[in-house]
Amino acid sequence: MKFLKITVLFLIGFCLQSCTKDVDFDQLDQASVQSIYVVTLVYLDLTAPNFLDNFNNEISLSTDVINVPITKDAEPYVEKVEITVITQNTFNRAFTFNFVFYDSFNTPIYTLQPTIMVPENSGETTTIIEIPKSDLSIIYNTVSIGAYINLLRSGDGSVLTKNEIGTLNLKSSSKRFLTYLIK
Amino acid sequence: MRKLLMLIFLVFSVGYAQNKQVLYDFSGLPQTLLLNPGAEVSYKSHVGMPFLSQISFQSGFTGFSTYDIFADNGIDINVKIRAALAKYRKTEFVAVNQQLEILSGGFRLPNKNYLSFGYYEEFEALAKIPKELVDLYYEGNTIINKHYSANKLAFRAEMLGVLHVGLSKKLNDKWQIGARAKIYSGMFHIKSKQNSGALFTQLGTNNTYSQQLENMNLLMQTSGLFLDSGETVDGSYVKKNLLFGGNLGLGFDFGFTHHLDKQWAITGSIQDLGFVYNTKNVESYSIKGNYEIDGIQLAFDPNNPEDYWTDLEDDFNEQIVLDTIYDKYISFRPVKLNGALSYSFGQTYDDCRFLIDPGSFNNKIGFQWFSTVGIVHSYMAATVFFERKINKFLQTKLTYTADSYSFSNVGMGLSTQIGLFNAYFTADNLLNLNNIYAAKSASFQLGINFIFKEKN
Repeated sequence: MKFLKITVLFLIGFCLQSCTKDVDFDQLDQASVQSIYVVTLVYLDLTAPNFLDNFNNEISLSTDVINVPITKDAEPYVEKVEITVITQNTFNRAFTFNFVFYDSFNTPIYTLQPTIMVPENSGETTTIIEIPKSDLSIIYNTVSIGAYINLLRSGDGSVLTKNEIGTLNLKSSSKRFLTYLIK
Repeated sequence: MRKLLMLIFLVFSVGYAQNKQVLYDFSGLPQTLLLNPGAEVSYKSHVGMPFLSQISFQSGFTGFSTYDIFADNGIDINVKIRAALAKYRKTEFVAVNQQLEILSGGFRLPNKNYLSFGYYEEFEALAKIPKELVDLYYEGNTIINKHYSANKLAFRAEMLGVLHVGLSKKLNDKWQIGARAKIYSGMFHIKSKQNSGALFTQLGTNNTYSQQLENMNLLMQTSGLFLDSGETVDGSYVKKNLLFGGNLGLGFDFGFTHHLDKQWAITGSIQDLGFVYNTKNVESYSIKGNYEIDGIQLAFDPNNPEDYWTDLEDDFNEQIVLDTIYDKYISFRPVKLNGALSYSFGQTYDDCRFLIDPGSFNNKIGFQWFSTVGIVHSYMAATVFFERKINKFLQTKLTYTADSYSFSNVGMGLSTQIGLFNAYFTADNLLNLNNIYAAKSASFQLGINFIFKEKN
């Protein structure tokens, strides 16, 4: 009987205790996952012939196109996109880069800002471009991106020749800032 | 959605699967025959209350508890999540096991052997989640050269019906042996094991970063998950698949009881030595390959325009091969091992006959060992116990268990027998009763039987 009493007391002891300490499940409203994903983007390594036509005349505007469907999968979660562009230029000429987004009607819908300035004979130069959340809905209609290199006029009127030694180098990557609300 | 997530979180925050340390060898209950077919049976026959003879639920998460996250202590929940993740080991696992005994019965044969049989439904899920994949989800991939590896990722889940019949045979005063045959009928099964591969980003040469999928080798086998068109999961589908219309398999349990002397005894069993042959709605996926990308190199060559994106997709699909496999496959049940050494003492005094019953003891202490050997995960637990026959109506068992969830798991079982009516309840992690949310593991079993005793 002594054992029975001890057992009963043991059980009563447990039952008299509060079964839970204070928890608040409404905190879930504030819970979020904030993650950042790095993705490598485009790069290029151009020499003088890239800026000359078939007759070795200088081309002031070079273009290229990437047909890339940008999906809406992550749309509700993306807070912003940050693009880091690193350029290096050993030409005695300055350049600018522009990236223009086109929709399915080939209509320009968005241009990355600011324009990427590449001064003549410039070492590694970093430009950070931010696409805010408010602009992302426009981006999601993109079906192609046009890349434009503008070769700026030289101060002394000189032009590039086929044998000109120099390279224009661009490297890029993006960071996508995502926020998932857990509710 | 939030309630569902919370429910999942709670389910995964309390306990581990399959170790029924309180129920094992407890009070001669009919359900102990499911854990050890060589357990001793002292009664003439038994019938379990249909659907109520054993309701069993166990689940757990080794990572952190509900209280770690939801404590109402004024600390921002995101800070608490980060703190919990900081303590996350290389791999944590979640597990849930649920069993519902639909039918259960047994009787003594003329040759004194005890035949038991029944049918139960079982759901089981287990996942090993490596920290690196949690980091990839929670933080992203910004740490250069960090390998977000899938090497330790493994999971398994299945739901099946089990029809079983077992025989417990007394060889002599010292030995009792038993075996049980099982026919499995699987409704669904999913398994992924021996995965490898990692995602990482490193500083590039052509571009700022180079990103790689290295040695990817992932395999996920499923049956009964992807249904044929026209098939829907409803009551009749579940019933059909759990009652031998599903993927069939065969298994065996073996067990013994050995009395070293009148007071010392050793018991042991091996359960679910078997397999399921998955033949219906089989769909498995394999991903293999290596892939490295620096980015897209723009050529600015108007004479040779390139379709960069299509080339990239083609290259990726060539390097990383996703195969869908429809081959039938065998899945093995996780094997469970039970063992116990016990010492009985305190002989029972028969109030009716005013005699001490020489073969019956009121108390039993001992040590139990449980382990599962599974393809996905193996697990071990050690238990010490004290069992006490309080009176002829009530029996109790106290356990202390150390396992990968906790070194302070105290469990308790109560079994009452009034006439034919038997009811039992077992539960563990009682030390967390004052704050159940702080428990990382818990389990309970309860049931009702009608037990017909031998006439003296």
